[in-house]
Formats: sequence, structure tokens, C-alpha cells
Amino acid sequence: MRAPVLPLGLALFLFAASASADPGHHPGGFDYDPPKPGTYRLPPLAPAADGTALDETGAVRGLHDLMAGKVMVLSFIYTRCGDVCPLGTAMMRDLHEATAADSALSAGVRLVTMSFDPDHDTPEVMAAEARALRVPRGADWRFLTARDKGELEKILAAYDQRVLRKADPDDPNGPLAHQLRVYLIDGERRVRNIYSLDFLDPRLVLADVRTLMLEEAARH
Amino acid sequence: MGTVGGVLRRFIGAAGLLLATAVAPAVADETCMSPFMPKITGQEDYVYVWTLGVEGMGDGSDKLVTVDVRPGSATYGKVIASAPVGSRNEAHHGGFTDDRRYFWTSGLDTSRIFVFDIHTDPARPKLERTIEDFVQASGGVVGPHGAYALPGRMLMSGLSNAKDGGGRTALVEYTNDGRFLAAHWMPTAEDPRGAEVESVADGYGYDQRVLPRRNALLTSSFTGKSNYMMDFGEMLKDPEAMKRFGQTVVLWDFHERKPRKVFHVPGAPLEIRWAWGPTHDYAFTTTALTSKIWLIHLDADGEWKAKAVADIGNPSDIPLPVDISLSADDKTLFVDTFMDGKVRVFDVSDPHAPKQIYEETIGRQVNMVSQSWDGRRVYFTTSLLANWDKKGADNDQFIKGYDWDGKRLHHRFTIDFNAEKLGRPHIMRLGAASLYAN
Repeated sequence: MRAPVLPLGLALFLFAASASADPGHHPGGFDYDPPKPGTYRLPPLAPAADGTALDETGAVRGLHDLMAGKVMVLSFIYTRCGDVCPLGTAMMRDLHEATAADSALSAGVRLVTMSFDPDHDTPEVMAAEARALRVPRGADWRFLTARDKGELEKILAAYDQRVLRKADPDDPNGPLAHQLRVYLIDGERRVRNIYSLDFLDPRLVLADVRTLMLEEAARH
Repeated sequence: MGTVGGVLRRFIGAAGLLLATAVAPAVADETCMSPFMPKITGQEDYVYVWTLGVEGMGDGSDKLVTVDVRPGSATYGKVIASAPVGSRNEAHHGGFTDDRRYFWTSGLDTSRIFVFDIHTDPARPKLERTIEDFVQASGGVVGPHGAYALPGRMLMSGLSNAKDGGGRTALVEYTNDGRFLAAHWMPTAEDPRGAEVESVADGYGYDQRVLPRRNALLTSSFTGKSNYMMDFGEMLKDPEAMKRFGQTVVLWDFHERKPRKVFHVPGAPLEIRWAWGPTHDYAFTTTALTSKIWLIHLDADGEWKAKAVADIGNPSDIPLPVDISLSADDKTLFVDTFMDGKVRVFDVSDPHAPKQIYEETIGRQVNMVSQSWDGRRVYFTTSLLANWDKKGADNDQFIKGYDWDGKRLHHRFTIDFNAEKLGRPHIMRLGAASLYAN
């Protein structure tokens, strides 16, 4: 079994790359004023599907149970990925830091990273991933993996998360091909936004999270 | 926000190209589509052609035609499949969903949207569903046009409205499974919706394109149903009809779907193409009636501006630029002009000063142009609108495939859609079987 060193390694590479970059220059970076929470609409896209998974302790968890009463950001990844998963995970880590630093957010937000590679990403591997990525202060970030292949297929189909096996299983960037998709889910278990790589600006995702929290607060 | 966020923001735009390799071991793409989709970076297998039915020709129905462009194939340059929709709807534009499994096409006359399954058998797309609620669900938008992929949803431009058949219209959003989400009406003089108006706000629509890292959406403008369903010759002689063309490009806050600035771009600005480079903050459009290339760009002061940067042919001849295609390296812009049947190729390395480097007559009329992502192949079709196409012997209807060596086109194949009794070929999209292989 291999520890999830690649994602973290890449994250550190990104960190190092930024240290040498000109701070006044943002090549390829997001460059706009982030939206003001609550000033725009996020129409519900679809009900967020249920399913069962294993958490990092090996316990069975229902996705709907994890959604209850929280704004959830759900990201599908696999730890052997050398393409886009590290970027998705870096964004989740960013959200995690932001929620840990804000008591209102940490009370209302749950982050979930779920692997679609149960052959490799056992609960133990996901636990190692969690240890490497979580900040000490207790914001809620769960690491899940599939309980079995049948259950995984149902979840991936329900979320339109495409995962294909690459022709070369020894591809240095990992054996699976997939689109990176991250889902914003409200407390009523509805998908309210979907982010692909081009939208993974943590400022934007946070504004959306806060928009849903404002919406929730206005209802009560 | 922590350090990783700063890193991510800087890195992620360049990393957007990784998406190409993240989805499948594919392959090539025309450069006219949403950045949110997997790209075909090598050889495409198929060109899908959304084709207008012609009464009395073949089955008379609009159809999605598959052309085989696999090198070495026994059916290279031939039609290998056709998926009719059973009616004529003024077939026009279309686009893939973000997962590239479905191809949405639309009819300007009936306001129907047709969704084809591309992934089950990429050589033989199948009609999966027809969306009939466009006008009613959107609150009166008519003429669904460009289908633009967003994550998990489609952004459809409209061309007209149910109230007067004019050009005032909206962007309409659907989920990928065909459920209406929202209509975003274009800013008008009476209701600018908070946008800064440079000169006029006419509320017209045509194309829509997003630059995610700037949170910028651009929309362009054409004309309403009362014009696009009219006979072209009669319309040209009708001074009132000729006043009813759009003259604006609108810059939107994309995430909030709010218009920010209405640029004055007279003469019906049609297709919009953002540059691809991670530091290239500009887009091109061309104006059908004034025959100019316009640049929408971020200036040194951080302000978005629009300016005309080149003429296409002799504007007084009204060559009528229609489709454009910007190469993946942002250096080459193909411009089709309908009236003279030509393609003109511009070096746009300096986007503020395009220089024409080549021109070639493709046919007696020409409309759409699509190039592969690697820039080596270029495809052309002919039909503009059923009532606007040329008449008699000038009514060429074909797809032609060429190789492009960076200096000139080399003809590879022609399929005569009249002879094949297929109809009027319009928009093209490229497909590859390897996108769906497992």
C-alpha cells in the first residue's frame, strides 16, 4: 500500500512555486473581485443523491446523514491522481483553513472528500490523507472511500461523475481518467452549484457557501 | 485565505489545460467551444453537422449528420450516419455538455432543443430527448441559439421574444438533464439592470462565451425572428427591417449573471472568441453588416474596452462575415464571409493590429468554419439560414475538409449535401471515440 504522498507533494510544489513568483503578477490566476455573498441566486440544480461510504475509521456513513443541516462541499478524487485531484484537494484545504478560522463557518459547513478508487484508497489511506491535510483546529472535513464497487457506481452515476480507466494502467499521472467536479450542497440536500477546474477559486466557493448560509439564516 | 489559496489562484488558470488530459486519452477539437469541456488535442474521428431539412429533399427533416474524418478509414470524407429529428425547425447552432456526452442543438423557428446522445456510439448519435418548454419556461424567450457548456448545465442564448418577434431576448439556463433553471434578460435602455451603457442598450443576443479567471461573460447581438425568418432579398430592401439588427456587446459578471457594461459595436456582432492564453485578456468578434474585426480587451487601466481593429475585405461590398475560429495558440483567426464565399486568415499575434495573411474561395457561399485544436485541419459548411441562403445554382450546400499548413489550405474532401439529399449543413462539432473508451 502506498501512502498518499503524491497529492501532498504536489501541493507543496505549488506552495514552493508561489514563493518564487512575483507577488504583483498573477499569470493564469483568478483575477476579479469575489462576489458578495447573498447578492445573487444559486438555483437548485438537482436533489443531492444518497449513498453509503466508509469513513476514514472504516465506519459506514450515509451521504444524506452527512448533509443534514450543513452546507456541504463534496469533492470526488483519488489519491493516486497526478492530474487535477491535487488542485481540487488544495482548494478543499483552503476552504478547510477558512472554515477553521471562522466559527460561524465551522458550525455550518462540512467538507467531504470522497475517493472513487477503493482498490487503492482504503480507509487507512484516506486516514493518512486526512492527517496530512487537516489543520489542527477542528473544522469539519471528512474523508470517505467507497464501500463496494456497486455502491460506488451508483454514487458516481447519480452525481454525473465520469471515471474511466486509462489505456495505460501505469500512466505516471494515475490509472484513472476523470473530470474534476466539486459539488455545493445545501442543508435541504440539494445541489446548488458544481465547480469544474476553471471555477475552483476558493473565494468564489466560499462566497457561495456564505450565500447558502445567509439563505438558511433568513428562513429561521 | 491561506497560502494555498494564493498558490491555487495563480496556478489554476494555467492548469486548466490539464483538464484536457484528465478526462481521457484523447485527442482534437475545434477551438470554438466552452473551456469547461474535455478537449480533443489530436486527430478527431468525426465531424457532427447539424443540418437544416429542406422540403422535398430526402426525408425533409433537420438531422445530425456524422462525417467520418478518420485518416485511412474506408469511409473517410463520407457521411456514415444521420439522425433525423422528424421535423424542420430552422436548425442552427449547438454545443456539447461539459462532460461531452450529449450534444444540444436548437431550432430557431420552433424553439425546440434537441439533445443527442454522443457517447453510447460516437459514430451514430441518437436523439435522446426534445425540450419543448423553452418559450414558456423562460417567460417568452424565442429562438434558442448557442448551447454553451457550464459545469452540469447549459447556457442557451436566445435570439428573439414571443412578444414582438424582435431582437430583445435573454440567456436561458438549463440543467444537463434538460430542466429549466433561469432566464437572464439582456440589458435595455429602459432596464439596463445596473449595467454601464456606452451608447445604446438594445437587448439583443446571439453568442455567449465565458472567461472564468476574469469572471467575465460576453454576449453579442444579431436580430429577431421577424428578420431571421424573412426572405433575405426582401429584408435587404426593407429599411425598417434593416434597422432591427443588434449593435451591442455586453460584458457580464458571470458568476452573478449581472450585466456590467454595454459596448457599442454596430453592425450585428456575431461570434465571440476569447483568446486561450493564460494572460490574454481579450476576445474577438466580427460585425456582419459593417465587416470589421472588433477587439474586446482589458486595457492598461484595468478597464474593459471595445474597438474596431481591422476591416474584413471591403466593407462597402458587405461581404457579410459570419463564423470565425481562433487557433489554440491565439495567433491565427479564420474569418468566413458568406456573400463572396471566402475564408480570410488573419495573423492576430498582435490582437490590436490583425493582418490578413491568406484568402481562399471555399464556394459560392460559405458559413461555418471549425479548426481542430492542433490547428492542422479546417472544416467549412455553407448554410446561413434557410431563407437567407443563395438561390438557384449559387445555392451550394456542402462540407469541405482541408489541411492547414500554417500558410495555405489543402483540400481533402467535399460532400455535396444537395446531391446526398441531406439538406443545408450548418454548425459543426468534432468528436472522438476515445473520449468514451474504457
